[in-house]
Formats: sequence, C-alpha cells, structure tokens
Amino acid sequence: MAINLKTPVVETREQRLGTIIRWDGKASELCEQSRSFCQSSGCSSASSLTEFESSFTQANMCSESITVSQATIIKNSVLIQHSPIGCAARQSFTSRNYRDLSERRGWDVEDPRSMCTNLDESDMVFGGLGKLEQSIRDAYERHHPRVIFIATSCATGIIGDDVDSLATQMQEELHVTIVPLHCEGFKAKHWSTGWDVIEHGILRQLVNKQPAQKQEDLVNVIHLGGHDVFTPLLEKLGLRVNLVMGGTTLENLALLTEASATVTMCSALSYLATGLEQEYGVPEIRATIPYGMQATDTWLREVARVLNRSDRVEAVIESEHRRIAKDLDFLRNRLKGKKGFVAAGAAFAHGLIANLRELGVEIEGSYSYHHDPVYDGRDARQDVLAHVVKTYGDIKNYTVSNDQHFQEYAVLQRAQPDFVVTRHGTQVAFLAANLGIPVLQVFYSNDGFGYDGLLTIGRNILRILPVKRFCKSIQEHASFPYAQWWLQQNNPFALNGCNGPRDQSRCGSRCGSQSRDVPDSEWCELPHMA
Amino acid sequence: MAFNLSISDVPNREQRLGTIIRWEGAASELVADSQFTCGPKASCCGGGGKKLCEQDAPFTQGNMCSECIAVTQAFMVKDSTVVQHSPIGCAAMQSFIARLSRDMTIQRGWNYRNPYTLCSNLTEDDMVFGGVQKLEQSIRDAWERHHSKVIFVTASCATGIIGDDIDSVTTRLQEELGTTIVPMHCEGFRARHWSSGFDISGHAMLRQLVDKNPPRKEEDVINIMHLGGPDIYSPLLAKLGLRTNLVMGGATLDTIYKLTSAAASSAMCTVLSYLAAGLEQEYGIPEIKVPTPYGLKATDDWLREIGRVTHREELAEKVIAEERARIEPELDKLRKELSGKRGFIAAGATFAHGLIADLRELGVEVAGVMSFHHDPIYDSNNIEQDMLAEAIASYGDVQNYTVSIAQHFQGHAALKRANPDFIIARHNMGALAARLGIPGAQIRFFNDGVAYDGLLNMGHLIQRTLATRKFSQSLAKHTSVPYKSWWLEQTNPFAKVNATEERGVEAYDELAV
Amino acid sequence: MTSLPSDDSNAAVLEVLPEKTNSIEQVRYVCSMGSLGSVLAIPHATPITHCGPGCALKQMGAIAGLNGYQGGEFYIPSTNQTEQDVVFGGADRLDELIDSTLKIMDSELYVVLTGCISELVGDDVGNVVRKYQRLGVPIAFAETGGFKGNNFTSHEIVVRAIVDQIVGEYDGPREQGLINVWSLLPYQNTFWRGDLSEIKRILEGAGFKVNILFGRESGGLKEWKTIPQAQFNLVLSPWLGLDTAKHLEKKYGQPFLHVPVIPIGADQTTAFLHQVVEFAGLNKEKSEKFIADEEKNYFSYLREFAGFYTGYTCQYHLPSLSLVISESAYNLAVTKFLVNQLGITPGKQIVTENPPDEYRDLIRKEFQNIASDISTDVEFEEDGYRIHNRVLSTNLEYHNPIIFGTTWEGALAGKLKCTLVEIGYPSTDEVVLSASYVGYRGALSFLEKIYTTVVRASTTA
Repeated sequence: MAINLKTPVVETREQRLGTIIRWDGKASELCEQSRSFCQSSGCSSASSLTEFESSFTQANMCSESITVSQATIIKNSVLIQHSPIGCAARQSFTSRNYRDLSERRGWDVEDPRSMCTNLDESDMVFGGLGKLEQSIRDAYERHHPRVIFIATSCATGIIGDDVDSLATQMQEELHVTIVPLHCEGFKAKHWSTGWDVIEHGILRQLVNKQPAQKQEDLVNVIHLGGHDVFTPLLEKLGLRVNLVMGGTTLENLALLTEASATVTMCSALSYLATGLEQEYGVPEIRATIPYGMQATDTWLREVARVLNRSDRVEAVIESEHRRIAKDLDFLRNRLKGKKGFVAAGAAFAHGLIANLRELGVEIEGSYSYHHDPVYDGRDARQDVLAHVVKTYGDIKNYTVSNDQHFQEYAVLQRAQPDFVVTRHGTQVAFLAANLGIPVLQVFYSNDGFGYDGLLTIGRNILRILPVKRFCKSIQEHASFPYAQWWLQQNNPFALNGCNGPRDQSRCGSRCGSQSRDVPDSEWCELPHMA
Repeated sequence: MAFNLSISDVPNREQRLGTIIRWEGAASELVADSQFTCGPKASCCGGGGKKLCEQDAPFTQGNMCSECIAVTQAFMVKDSTVVQHSPIGCAAMQSFIARLSRDMTIQRGWNYRNPYTLCSNLTEDDMVFGGVQKLEQSIRDAWERHHSKVIFVTASCATGIIGDDIDSVTTRLQEELGTTIVPMHCEGFRARHWSSGFDISGHAMLRQLVDKNPPRKEEDVINIMHLGGPDIYSPLLAKLGLRTNLVMGGATLDTIYKLTSAAASSAMCTVLSYLAAGLEQEYGIPEIKVPTPYGLKATDDWLREIGRVTHREELAEKVIAEERARIEPELDKLRKELSGKRGFIAAGATFAHGLIADLRELGVEVAGVMSFHHDPIYDSNNIEQDMLAEAIASYGDVQNYTVSIAQHFQGHAALKRANPDFIIARHNMGALAARLGIPGAQIRFFNDGVAYDGLLNMGHLIQRTLATRKFSQSLAKHTSVPYKSWWLEQTNPFAKVNATEERGVEAYDELAV
Repeated sequence: MTSLPSDDSNAAVLEVLPEKTNSIEQVRYVCSMGSLGSVLAIPHATPITHCGPGCALKQMGAIAGLNGYQGGEFYIPSTNQTEQDVVFGGADRLDELIDSTLKIMDSELYVVLTGCISELVGDDVGNVVRKYQRLGVPIAFAETGGFKGNNFTSHEIVVRAIVDQIVGEYDGPREQGLINVWSLLPYQNTFWRGDLSEIKRILEGAGFKVNILFGRESGGLKEWKTIPQAQFNLVLSPWLGLDTAKHLEKKYGQPFLHVPVIPIGADQTTAFLHQVVEFAGLNKEKSEKFIADEEKNYFSYLREFAGFYTGYTCQYHLPSLSLVISESAYNLAVTKFLVNQLGITPGKQIVTENPPDEYRDLIRKEFQNIASDISTDVEFEEDGYRIHNRVLSTNLEYHNPIIFGTTWEGALAGKLKCTLVEIGYPSTDEVVLSASYVGYRGALSFLEKIYTTVVRASTTA
C-alpha cells in the first residue's frame, strides 16, 4: 500500500501495517502468522495474527515523546510543543540527548531550542491557536531558526485546534518552514508511530523536491543515533553516507533525494525509506538489518548490488571476517553456554538476538516492545525475525508487549537467564537487577551494527557479567508491588488469557484490535485469577 | 655590595641588606630608621655600620623558608626538572607546585602536564654516610626520565648540615650529561626570611642561564621580574612600543637567556631585585629605579622613567593621560563607594607598600599593616626605589605598621587593634581575620594590583569582599583562637611575653597528676 | 577534563619498567614531622616544632591544605632555627619557645616534635622537655627527624610518646565495652574527619563506648587518659596502629583486635560489627537491632541506585575495572567494596605509603582474599613515575577503567581516557568537610561521588 503524502496526518502503524503490542508464543509461529497477514491486502481480510488482551496495563511512552525527541535533534530548528506543560516534561531528556549528539556530530554543544505553548484550562474551552501563534512568533524572534516544528498533543487533538491552517499562514508571513507534526498520544497504540510522524513531515516539507543531481556513491543511513559506525564499513565500497534521524542537519535532509540508495537501521524507521523510493526513486535496500555475520554479509551484498559495486564486495566481506576473527573467538569462548535474554523494540530486538546467537549465547526467551507483521517496503527479505529463526533457530518464548513491568517480571521468571540485554528506559534493567540478573543496557542501537557491533556487544556483556554480585545483593532485599499470585506467574498473559481464542475463525475483523465477541470459555487454558 | 658571581652561594638578605623580620611603630619611623642605618646618608650597607633595630620575640610560629621559594622559582622555569636533595618532607610541596603549575601553564599558554620534580629521599643512613650518591642517582634519573634542558638541584637543611658537596656533583654531571645543572644553596636555616630564596634563584640565572655574550641590545625590550599571574605588562608596555621579557613568574629558558640583551629591567617587587641589580652590575642594563607601579602616581612615574630610559618620553606622557582618562569613571565610582572604609593589609614588603598606595588611592583608610619582612635598602643601593617612603609621601603615614613573618599570634593583636572593615592578605592571615569576624580577600596573584587596571581590580575585590561579611560574622560567633585570655586582649603585637606576672608554668600546677 | 572512554581501552604497553632507585616523583606522603597533624587532630592539643623555618607550614600545608582544603589557619609554635642554632645548638631556643608557648597558647596538651636540624646537630630535646614535665606541664616530646620514615611511622611514635609520657602507668580496673580505636591517619587520609565520625557512630550503635582519640568527637586529653581503662584496642587498618596496640598490650595488658579492612557498604560493615561484638563478648541485642535498621536504610537506597547502575551502563560508559593507587587502608577498603558490592573487576592495586616490610605479607594476603572467589595482587611503590608506568603497562582488555587515586593521577586518567576519583593525599580538587566514604552511610556518599564523576565526565557539555 502506497504511503499518502497528501495529508498532513500520517496513518498509524496499526492502520498501515497491522502492528500489534501483545503476543506470546514461539517466534516461528509469530513469523508464520505475520507472513499470512502480509500476503493479504489491507486490513479487511481475516488474518491469523491475533493480538492478545490485557485488562491491566501500566504506563509507558506515547508517540508524541518519540516525535518530539526526533524533532529536537534536527539542527537549527525550534520545536514548539502545542500542549499543556506536562508534555514538555520530556525536555530534560531531549536536551541531554541533543547535547550528546552535538558532541558526536561536531556541532557546538548547547541546549536545543524547545518551547511549549503552555495551555491551561481556559484554552481547553476557547481553543489554543492564539497561544500557538504567539509561540511561533516568539520562536522566530528569539532564535531565527530555519524550520519550526509544531508537535500536537492529546489536548489539542481533542479540542480540535487547526494547527495546519495556522502553520501555512505563518509560514507565508515569516518565510520560515513550519512543519506541523500530528502526534497526539492517543492516536497510536504504540510509540513507534512517532517516527512515522516525523518522517512524514520530512518527506512533505524538508526534502529537496527537485534534486539537481544523483550522487551515485551516496547512501542515506536512517538510524537512531550514536557513533558513525557506517562510514568505516561503507567507505570500503567507495561509498559515502548521509546520516539522518540520529542527529541531523537540514542539509542532510535536503540531500536525501540525491542519494542512490537508503538503508534503515531499524524497521521502525523505514517509512522514510519507502517514501523516498515511492516519490523520488531512491531505492530502499531490502535486506534484513545488518546484525550478525550472515545478515551483515547479505546486507552488504545487496547494497553493493544496488550501487553497482558487486565486484568489490566479496573481498570486503572476506577481509572483515578475517579482521574480527580472533576477537570473535575470544568472545565466543567466554560466552559459550551462557543464557541470554533480549528486551528491546522491534527490529533492534531481532538484531540483538542475532548478535547474541552469533556470539554463541543461548536464547530461549525474548521480549519485543511491539511487532510489525510487515513493513512499508512490503518485502519478506526485510523480516529480521524470520531471518533470525531461520539462521539460528526458533525462540521458544517470544513475547510482544509494550514495556509492561508486570509482564516483564513474569517473562524473566520464566526465562531465568544469566544476563539480559535491553534498550529503552531503565525499567527492564532495574527489574532484572532486582531479580539478581546482571543486565546490559544499550543506549545507542548503532553499538550492535555490522561486524564490529558483534565485538562491541560481546565486550559490553563481559563487562557486566561480574555485576551479578551487585544484583544478587539487591535481590536479597528486593520486593515487588504485586499480589502473591502474580509473583508466582511466569506467563505474562496469565491475567486475561495467554493463547488467544482456540478457535481462530471466530475472531472476526482484526486490524490489530481485540475481539470482544469470543466467550470466556474459549479463552486461556492456563489458570488465572480466581 | 657588589655581587660575586664566581661562587654558587649567595649571602642572605640580612647580611647584604640588613633585612629584618620584627618591628613595630609608625611607617615614617621605619623609613627614617632605614635611611639612617642603610641609606646613602649612612656609612654602612653590607659591611659594619648600624643594624636596623629589630624587636625581640621568644614565641615564634612556623612559616615558609627560602628553600620553598627557591624550589618554586626553579620549577617555574618551563621544561625544567627540579631535584630536591633532601629527606621527603621538603618535597611535601610537590602538590603545591602541581597546583600552581596548572594556573601558570594556562596563563603562559603552555600545555599542562604534571611538573617534573624529584626528591632524592634521604633517610637516616644518609645522614651518617652522606647523600651525594643518591643525589647523583636522582640527577641521572631526572635526565633519563625527562631529558630537560635544565636541572635545578636544591639543597636542604639536612644536606647543609651533613656537608654534601652538591657543586662537585652538579659540575661533573653537567659535563657528562651535556645539560645545564644548576645548584641552589637554599638550606632553610640559612636565612631568617624566605625572600632570600628569590636571590638564590636570581643568582643562579645570572651564573648559568643568561646569555653571557649578548649580541646586541634590543632597544625596545624591557625585562620584567614578577611573581606570577596574568601578563598585565605586555599590553600596557606595548602602548609604548615596547616588548617584555617576563621572568621569575613562569618563563622559558629562552626568555631568561635573552635577559642580557634588553634595554632595561624592572623588578615588580624588591625581593626580585637581585636579578635586576645583577644585570646592571654585569651587563650594564639599567634597572628602572623608581617605586613599583601601584597607585596612580607611582604608575605614572614608572611609565615616565621607562619612557626616559627608552627615549619615549612623549609617548609615555600620552599613554599616561589616556590610561588615566580610561579608568577615571570607574575609579570615581569606586572612590564614592569605598571612601571611609578601613582596610588592613598583610603582605610581603613591597607588595604591602603597593597595597597601601592602591587602597589610599581608592579612598580607603589603612587601619594597619603587617609586612612580612623589611629591607632597609635594596641591592641597587638606591633610595629612590623605596616604595614605602613613596607611599607615605604621597598618601600619608601609617601609624600602625608591623613587621612580622606572618606570625599568627601577632596578627591577632594587630587586627584587634586595627578593627578594620576588611583585610587584604597574602599567605595565611585571611583565615585568622575570618575567625575574628573580619571579611578577608586573600590575593593570589601579585599582578592583580599592579598599574592602572590593578587599581580597579583592587577596588572590585574590596567590594566583593565586603559583600561576604556575613560569613565571617557568623563564624566569629562560634569560633575561638587558641591563645590565653591575656594574649587575646593584647593589641600590641610585640607586647612583652614575660611582662606578665604569671609565668606560664605555674598555671599548670593544678593539672599536675 | 577527561573525554569519553573508548570501548577498547588498551593503553600503550611499555616495554621496560624503569629501575627502582631512591628518587621519588609525585610525593604521596610527607616526612615524620607531618605527625604534627596527628597532634593537631587531638582537640586542644598543640604541637611545638623544633625545626627549620619552613618545615611545619610545609607539612601542614601539604596534608591539610592542598588536600581537601581541611584547614587554612596556621599557628604552630616553631623555633624556626637559623644558622646560629646549627652552629651552637638549639636547645636554649627550644626552651625559650616552650616557655613562651605556655604563656601565650591556650592548650591542654603539648607535644614537641623535632626536625632534621636538631637531630643532626644533637640537641638534647628530652632534657629540655623533662624539665617542664617535672613541673607538671602536660607536654611530651617525640623524635621525628624528617629523614626518619614518614608521617605514617611517626604517627605511632607520637602516639607512643603521649601514652608513655602523659597517660603514664595504670593498673586499675578496665571498663567492659569501652574500646580504643586506632584507625585512619588524620589529614593524610583526606576523609578522616567524616570517616572517624561514622566509625564511632556504628560502634556506638553496636553498644560500645568509643575512645575515637582523634577528631572533633574525641574528648582530647581527658579521653586519652582513659586509654588504659579500655577493654581492648581495636586496630582498624591494615597495619597502622599495630605497633601501638602491641605496646599497649605490653604496658597495660590490654588485648587487641586487628581488623585490616575498614568496612565500606552494608555487607562489610555488618560483618565488621559482628566480629567486634563477638570479640568483646557484648550482648547482641542492641547491635542486631542497629544492624537491621542500618541495612534496611542502606538497601532501600541501593535498590533505587540499581535503576541507575544497571540502566545507564552504555550511555555513561560505566566503569568495569578499577585501578587503585593509594595508601593501604583506603586501597584495601575501596577495592573490597568495588569488587563485592558493585561487581567491578580489580585491575591494579598499588600501595604507596611504604609500609614496613614486616606487614607487607599481611597486606598481600588481604588482597589475595579480596572476595570468596576472587584473588588479586598488590604492588608496593612510592615513586609516581614508576607507578604510572606500571599502570600504563597493564593490559586492560575490553574494560572501561576507573582510577581511584590522587591528583597526580589526573595525567594518567587523561592518557587512559577514563575518570579519576580522588581518595587520598594529595586531593587538590576536593573540598572536604564532613564527607565520609566508609561504613553504612559513607558508602552511599561514595557511590554518589563515583557516579556523579562518571556521569559528568561523559557529558562534555
């Protein structure tokens, strides 16, 4: 299904891709169900991908957080959060994030420019556009940015502020690009839509719509931030990189349409790649993300093929294998027989599982914060989970859940790993520590990229294994705020039913929503709350 | 007294100049006495003749020695290595040197690294058998590790007493290793006041580090001997088309080498004047013989004299006028705010004199002064340089002028007598003042008070200090100073210790077990 | 300023370690006269130094000034000996000074310390001081010539002098539960004030009455006079205080308990209290309640800290290997805590105060048993140049190192691109008042210090 750039509001992932946030079972089963979904066209046909139920949910992130974070790390911009003050609490994080990235990108290290329209009760009655207009003017007067982002909020979505009209009007008056980002928290089930929102804005307003030339050696790399680990590898193929999304300049964004290919480091970021191909013919590299030896080899080959450098790629692959061989052996020896557990967003979780298995670590359980049965590129080659299952074997207990503490508790009890690798907020890390399990909290997903990524992840794990001592100490004095019966669970969906309805033909229309017309007796074979 | 550069020893200041470390009275008296005993009107100076009257003090408290100063001076030469030939205690100052080094390297634009200082670490055995072998080993270690173009070797009380022949080692190794090795005879007990350490440093430079055959005179270069801190001289003298060789407050070997081709020298403190006097004696480089540039008049005079010596009289007048005009508005503001305030000064001789000038220029009353030593005359034998005379001639006498090597118990009496609004201090007097409820400004860098901008700096410093008085007032309510109550009431720093009825020992009868 | 540590921190490996000579660069202790700090640490006690004009201020300025900025005022009576005293002897001058000191200074206890000059010249200091002792003045003398040992060894010489000359003989009853504590070296150990406070607090919590002897909570001379009444002596340090305890055993028949590791963190501190209570035969009720309360508090904080410690591993490049360069007491205590509580790998331990040969095996053994399943080595080195070379020649493998040491290690941290936490003399970048790094509470402050330093270093902005 093509992406629609004519409207300012992007369709959510669940609408476009059937994204789900609750599931548990074998990874191979999930792949199977996703594949059949992929083959059906649109959301109207029945599919076998079932999202589980959960009447108990705990707080986490929304797509507005993501959109706001991403907008902040675009240089020379001002972000206006059109919201009450609470949404702007994110600014202490985004500021820190911006400064870190500035340092890595060689920019002046300073605070980003972020504002909040600071709506109050009367604005809920009379509307907030007057304040938004004022804030846009303030942003312009104070900072003279080249682009102003406006991020909406639950409140402004509900009261119906017409942000687009105002943006268009002000853009004309002030001669500065103003990009409305429709990211009301309630709109999307999962925060990953937040990336789609910002990428939608970029495609609509920030790319160079009439690229003067094509640069045959330029590759767009859409990533989530961190060291530039791409240039050292891709320059071996005579390629240059245009890094976007993980700390970008407006020039980088303008360059997007001049590139000869796009790679994405996580499927949550692929909307932009698909848009560039659809609108500007910049081919999206359709291979699994390069985590693990095989995936990296395949990815490199595909990049080389699309960019006419197949003659060189085998030599590069061979020399890279040779270069890391000794260190990889060392790490494999140290990690042999260890049981790992991954908790991260898709597809980074899949990538990490590949890395860990490449290092010889056993994985019986993993936890992914959401699942996209298909990506915008609609290509089975991009299915990282399928690749992992095929290359390294199935994962017995694969859970999909949007970072729910009570469920993470249960899955860790079930998995009993020697260590955990995780990303995002410190929730899983803290939990694992309290269960006596040492944890590696990865901050930049680039850490796991390519051949060197194997070594980086491996070394990081070795560093945290001795921290088990600390975790055991904590465990002796730990307690969890759950009822006794939950503390004994190792089934994350024990509350509402874990296996979904036994008779799947009764599930009715899906599109990622839960079925309400399946009787209780048909659900769940395992005991739950009496 | 002419310098003898053929030996590595330097006679201490009390021998050369009649320097004293204890005195009390009005500053005008001290000036008169100094000129009487040692000025051109007198028959002495260095050999026979009257000695300037010095007070008695059976009770003394510890302070610095000339070894500290010599070692500090040695390390302040860029890329030097200092070998302290001593037991480990003398090297306790290495952490102080490291700290000083950080500030200095930034101010001079050098790269920071830990300074190179070694200690030969003498132990009990060496006291019996001598330490020259260890000295030789340490010099070799210094060379192996750091390959410095100059290695300074400093003596200590211990090596002075056991009679280690440092010179023979340094001479021999200098030839063998092919690098300059400079012995410094700075045993602590050799001098009653630490300022002799500067002379030792100056002497060493004259003997081994200057260019003995300077090619020609650079008519636009002035040597400035200073005590460290930001370079405030170059910008000012550049207005006269002059360049500066800054030494003694952090200098490269190159700069020291070039000392002998300058047109003139100016020492910013009389404890640094040995070097200036020596350059005049040996190389005919005139010393600028006017008081140091503190306060408007002395700064004007200093610039004028430099102008005269370098044939830039007109330019000097122009700069003086411009500078005065530039600082006038701010100076006026400061005078209005500070007029009537009473300050106490605790600093070393010339610096104290300079601060008197600065404070008075700002309209502040000088309630009392503690000067850490007093030189009745300087090596140039020129009373025109007498900063104290100049200060009291321009601004009036100082009634309560105490000379004391920063003796804490005397500081107490002097502060009690003066009861000032604030104190400007060097060394340790600031902490004492705080305990007595007097806000204190501890000046770190000598250069902060020099010339026109220095005057404004001092003014701002005093303003900031007065603003912090709540801290010392709060402290004073809850602290005590460890002296007997009869001493705590004294306001004469030299009150006779045995003038009291009570002999100290009898007070202990009741405690006798 | 340190920059971000790299993931493969493999520092330059040097081929040859320079030979050990007498030279010392980067001084890490001071001379025997530095024990004037030990006297000053006793409330209302004053040292009288018989030495050259620069010694006392130099030692004090070093260990109490540019080391946590522990004190600025300086008023120590000193003979400031000159050439005359060298030639003619300084005994008379000393006599004059003692006499005038007694008139001016208000103090309960005086200790005369001698420097290089008087010992070389042969002043009979004992003779001068004994005159005053006979008149009932609470004054002692100790021979602490600068070339004899260092401030660690002279600390015990001074203690012994006070015990023998002032406290004197005693054969009366002993008080059950009263203990003398011989631990950190005042001023040299930068955090001694807060540390002794915490040590006193936990021992009192366990039911003891504590003669802490140094610091603001000591009762001064009055407390020192009760030393012989204590049930036993507790030597809480790897070796400093052992000679004293042995002497007191001979003199007063007091037993002693030697605990080489100063406890940091709940596990260590609880074990320590159990050990001392057991040795004393005290009733356990009070100590068990105290321990339970302290542990509850400690672990609730530690648990919250776990969110940071496990959650920011990569973002802040949390350290995984320690390099500890310090005198033995802190070296051992800190290494033990890092390994057992935080799971940090012990990379290198260098002890710098030149402990007496007879105690080195004891110290080695403690490091060999640093954890029930981890053994590590210790090296003894005083010359900073060689210390840095030793560290730079260590293979750090894949680790992120962190250095615990002194300001001298700033340059080393720069070379290894890692952070430095200062824990002992000289710490010229720490301003210390009551901070402690030991016991239950100190461990939490220590964690704050370490990880604030790490976070700041990884934030260049």
